[in-house]
Amino acid sequence: MSIFESKKLGEMAVGTKIVVYGVLGIWTFIVLFPLYWVLITSFKLPIAVSGGPFYLPFVDFLPSLHAWSYIFFDLGNDTFRPYFNSVVVAVFSTLLVMITGSLAAYALSRFTFRPRLLTILIFILAVALVIVLVAALGVNWLIAVTVGVALAVIGAGMFRRTPSPTLGNPDILFWMISQRIFPPVVAAIPIYVMFQQVRLLDTHVALILTYTAVNLPIVVWLMYDFFVSIPKDLEESAELDGASRIRIFFEIILPLSKPGLVATSLLVLIFSWNEYLLALFLSTANAQTMPLLVAAQNATRGPQWWYMSVLIIIMIVPVILLALVLQRFIAKGLLVGAVKG
Amino acid sequence: MTVRLEKVAKFFGSVRVLHELDLDVKEGEFLVLLGASGSGKTTALRMIAGLETVSSGIITIAGRDVTNVLPKNRDVAMVFQSYALYPHKTVAENIGYPLKIRRLPRPEMEARIKDVADQVQLTPYLARYPRQLSGGQRQRVALARAMVRRPKVFLMDEPLSNLDAKLRGHMRAELGHMQHALGITTIYVTHDQIEAMTLAHRVALLEGGKLQQLDTPANIYNDPANLFVAQFIGSPSMNVVRGTLDGNLFMAGGTKIMVPVMGKVAEAVLGVRPEDCALTAPEDADVNGNIYAIELIGDHTLVTVKTESDMLTVKAAKDFSAKVGNAVGVRLSKDNLYLFEAERGVRVR
Repeated sequence: MSIFESKKLGEMAVGTKIVVYGVLGIWTFIVLFPLYWVLITSFKLPIAVSGGPFYLPFVDFLPSLHAWSYIFFDLGNDTFRPYFNSVVVAVFSTLLVMITGSLAAYALSRFTFRPRLLTILIFILAVALVIVLVAALGVNWLIAVTVGVALAVIGAGMFRRTPSPTLGNPDILFWMISQRIFPPVVAAIPIYVMFQQVRLLDTHVALILTYTAVNLPIVVWLMYDFFVSIPKDLEESAELDGASRIRIFFEIILPLSKPGLVATSLLVLIFSWNEYLLALFLSTANAQTMPLLVAAQNATRGPQWWYMSVLIIIMIVPVILLALVLQRFIAKGLLVGAVKG
Repeated sequence: MTVRLEKVAKFFGSVRVLHELDLDVKEGEFLVLLGASGSGKTTALRMIAGLETVSSGIITIAGRDVTNVLPKNRDVAMVFQSYALYPHKTVAENIGYPLKIRRLPRPEMEARIKDVADQVQLTPYLARYPRQLSGGQRQRVALARAMVRRPKVFLMDEPLSNLDAKLRGHMRAELGHMQHALGITTIYVTHDQIEAMTLAHRVALLEGGKLQQLDTPANIYNDPANLFVAQFIGSPSMNVVRGTLDGNLFMAGGTKIMVPVMGKVAEAVLGVRPEDCALTAPEDADVNGNIYAIELIGDHTLVTVKTESDMLTVKAAKDFSAKVGNAVGVRLSKDNLYLFEAERGVRVR
């Protein structure tokens, strides 16, 4: 047996077994203890929280449902509305970003793009012009944007034949992911102003669009890797079998990308579900999401740990269930048998 | 159906991978595109399939100009080197995919899948997935998928190269039989000269993007157009001796050999196949030398003789016995000598 071959637990020496189980046990404890702590805190009275660490219900302290009844009955709609908002925003932004992102990733993995630097420069100049028109000259922004778009299109057309260096697919991909290098707070204020201008502050649409944009680079990046790993032969074969491009995408590429799609959508769903900073800027009352409600429990009266714990539990339960359901899709080895002999 | 290529060329950027290629594949013909890697054979096949654009020239299938027609509208089927089976579909779904796209009624579809599966002995495996099959079975699935819709033309891109040697021999015979039975025009790409010789009605030998010779296997072997073809075909390859040709006398070092052609070439190459050489006593030989190596192949023995300036491989009887280093003579069969100009490789006739 080589040292690289994995051993079954039963074949291990007793000492090794103790070490392995010991390390796993410690790690399990580290992961699960905070969850346990949140769970028991949700059943504690304030006195059981502030009176020192109590660990065991019925032994150390007497559990109470006061926090649960406050969140579900006293707050009532003030709990359910943010919950509903979170569901709507997370689900729709995930759907939107998965559709746009995977189509973009597929295009980048299969077609060669050669954007011209000159065209990009013309576009940047047009954007600068719009900013000057709106900010310095006080032109109505709708008119300014229309003028900017028109000038960019006309300019790009006029200099279509002028020689210019070009960029390629790797550049586009890197540009995409570079969007995530900046901390999101850099963009928070401009995004706030933008939605203020189009009167969409405190709406689902604002949050859905923002989360879609923020998650797009991650989806493109992950799905690009996935699509590249699907052999081109399969598509060419389907093409010769008579399938159209759209059909190939939906009948050959998508089924084979299921593990990647599921894993990626879980990732972006969790991001949207937990996102706090941008939600803080973009929603005030109507579109408020769950993370804001959790944070709000640390308001004028000081941190209300028992209410927070209840909210955290009802926030993480659906995510855990979803992960369990989707786990079987995130299986490897789906491409075996495609092209290897 | 016929396939015609007229002055078809292909550039990748400024690199010319295929010079103007003219091919005329007859109805029901089995044409093999043979060449080393980089010879342009696969590019030519992919252009016929429509997977590669044509830089210049015209491709017609069954008399219809398809140069700018999408692959799906050319009615050709292709077997890929990698088989390109759909891993998420069963064998039956893989075979039936072309029919599903053509919206065949379900009963007819099932009948046709069953029919081709029978032909390639896959019936017991129809419900399995490609990952559950062996290499040879996958290869047959790919073949069945190509056969099921009865295309105008079969295109095959090294379909046997991923199989082990024994299975390859078996599948080669199967393929030959199947093509004969179906009578569908087939264009087959390979780098394996045995596949080319055994399967083809005609072989197109490509090198450096240029067609070297297009002829029947027998003619390619017995009447090579140039030095490249002569050396590419045949295993072990043809012996070559460098020298000069004056009249019908070929001179290399001290040896003089009467040859069946006339000419005056300062730098000439004499070619002779190992089976047209015989070992003799040094005194009645055309060329003298010493035994350099002896290899028993099974039904014959290959003897390499080192002469003054060259090495000659001679095909000898399987019971040949001698010692390495022994002096030996080689006699050449006068009717089977080929002469070429050394520089351009052109045959001197």
